[in-house]
Amino acid sequence: MVKVYTQEHIYKHPWERVTSASWRKFVDPENKRVLSHILQVDTLNHRLDPSARKLYTTRAVTVHCPGPWFIRKLIGQDICHCLESTMVDAQQRSMQLSSRNISLQKFVEVEEKIRYDPHPDNPDTWTICLQETRIYIKPFSALASIAEKVEQRCADKFMQNSAKGREVMERICKYLETESTGLPL
Amino acid sequence: MKDQRRFPSSKSPCAHLRDAYHNCFNRWYAEKFLKGQWDKEDCVSEWQKYRACLSEHLEDKHLSRFLEVEGTVSSIVQDDLGKRSASGVSQ
Repeated sequence: MVKVYTQEHIYKHPWERVTSASWRKFVDPENKRVLSHILQVDTLNHRLDPSARKLYTTRAVTVHCPGPWFIRKLIGQDICHCLESTMVDAQQRSMQLSSRNISLQKFVEVEEKIRYDPHPDNPDTWTICLQETRIYIKPFSALASIAEKVEQRCADKFMQNSAKGREVMERICKYLETESTGLPL
Repeated sequence: MKDQRRFPSSKSPCAHLRDAYHNCFNRWYAEKFLKGQWDKEDCVSEWQKYRACLSEHLEDKHLSRFLEVEGTVSSIVQDDLGKRSASGVSQ
């Protein structure tokens, strides 16, 4: 019972701008309304490898638990923690993010991978984003009978949230574009 | 306890330090890291204050584990997504 969803999106902005937007996506206060499922993002550690020109970070993302209310009731909690690892390779111009839930692992495993790379046709001005979401409901969980339904709800929610995420990314890119071409703030 | 909604939001005790660090980090990323200044990270004092606060207030045991091991970052990003990379960077 694994469901895998892949999405592709092209940002008509250079890779540098898009990855800057990605860092700001969850932390800029003006996005809180749209990304209301994200409650808090904390950086747990980070490491810069100057010789490889790579940056690594691990962040904790606290979200409203997805799924129907009765699941939250059963589980007895309404917030979930996810762990997000990011690697930025400045030389290759590649950013790779991987998130997985660490709450409720007995019931469900959600893993989301995102990569931002320069678009092959337009490497200096466009960015391609590949996103893969893998949702796995544990078959032995007491929730097996309703697992199908939950999985679907979970998947729907994820798709909705990634659309919101893209909307926010586009907005930040636009803002960064204005900032870089207009007057300094 | 029943009515207590544990929504941390901006009321988290580390919120100010977190914002200060993230603002500094975002600036460093855009203005230095992306422009080829890879040799050192800025925001050291912001990070130290923020991290000290987190280690005091982070409740979740799974999360604090990652905080304890400073400098080691989980390599989960580098497994199968890396295979799709056309860049050919070997890990």
